[in-house]
Amino acid sequence: MANSQIGFPPRISNKMTIRILLVDDHPIVRQGLKTLLEGRSGWEVVGEASDGAEAVEKAQNLKPDVMVLDVTMPRMNGLEACRVLRRQAPQLEILFVTQHDSPQMMREALDAGARGYVVKSNAARDLLEAVEAVSQHRVFTALNGRDSAAVR
Amino acid sequence: MKLRILLADDHEIVRRGLRALLEKHEGWEVCGEASDGREALDKAMQLKPDVVILDIGMPLLNGLDTTRQLLQHDPHFKIIVLTITDSDQVIREALDAGARGFVLKSDAARDLVSAVEALQNKRMFFTPRVNDLVLAGFLEKGNTVSRNEAPKLPTLTAREREITQLLAEGNSSKEVASLLNLSTKTVETHRSNIMRKLSFHSIRDLVVYAIKNNLIQIELPPPPKTPTGPTAA
Repeated sequence: MANSQIGFPPRISNKMTIRILLVDDHPIVRQGLKTLLEGRSGWEVVGEASDGAEAVEKAQNLKPDVMVLDVTMPRMNGLEACRVLRRQAPQLEILFVTQHDSPQMMREALDAGARGYVVKSNAARDLLEAVEAVSQHRVFTALNGRDSAAVR
Repeated sequence: MKLRILLADDHEIVRRGLRALLEKHEGWEVCGEASDGREALDKAMQLKPDVVILDIGMPLLNGLDTTRQLLQHDPHFKIIVLTITDSDQVIREALDAGARGFVLKSDAARDLVSAVEALQNKRMFFTPRVNDLVLAGFLEKGNTVSRNEAPKLPTLTAREREITQLLAEGNSSKEVASLLNLSTKTVETHRSNIMRKLSFHSIRDLVVYAIKNNLIQIELPPPPKTPTGPTAA
């Protein structure tokens, strides 16, 4: 399903506007991600959520382009939220940012319908490139100790 | 004069978040950052910050042992530890190590500024959970200690704890030696002392010990789910 869009030609634009919803249960992590993301001109964090249920709700109201989503969260975890959103908001691109540096978890995230997967400890290195890729409907995955792999 | 803060956490994203939070406060500056306990030791000695904020779960040298070593070097360091858990054991260890502030990472956005302010005014700051625990300890006098505490294990020296953490993180004796500027032979002697003291026979025992005693902290993934919806590829 997700594969059908991998071949989309990327829209090349340096001034692209991207509206982002940020989901993580730690406010400090959200703050860190936000300062990083808003360093890009035109990118805007339009909302924040601290669990999967809140993420689903806010995605419906705010209609962001990209959701940056944690896996381990209270109430509803990121994988469950991702599955729900895949059905409810098919145009939304989901990028996981998680501490789980594991191929199994990455597989599960992509199976749940995410377009990207970045390890939290590498977020400062990988996040901007990943958001850009998924906003153009390209897959972006990078585990630890490996080169970032943007699959086009 | 500005209050100078040293920030140590292994996640750059967390450091960014903490820095943004702290620097919103007028008169405070983050004078340095470190991504593991050893780097924090070096930078603290070099920069002499007014307040040191240490994550407990850091590689190479965890925040509790970094606290112990810093205070041993200079008892005037004011240290706040950040933790992902407020278990009784971690609280006790943090108090015992000499931290003056104890903040849960999940509450950092709310509590960290208060904690730094408290230390700035020569007070201490602990998450409410700590007050409960200390009070419970008073009320039940010595009983809690004898009942709740794990059977006393033989005490490891600071050096042995450091080496235990590095071995549990998967480093070989040779790698530990190079990290600590020791000879491989010295590390192997420490290693066999550790194993003998704890009556351990394998590295696996050592890893379990390191986790149980908060030398290393791990966060577990959510339980795996059988995929339900449509799958990609």
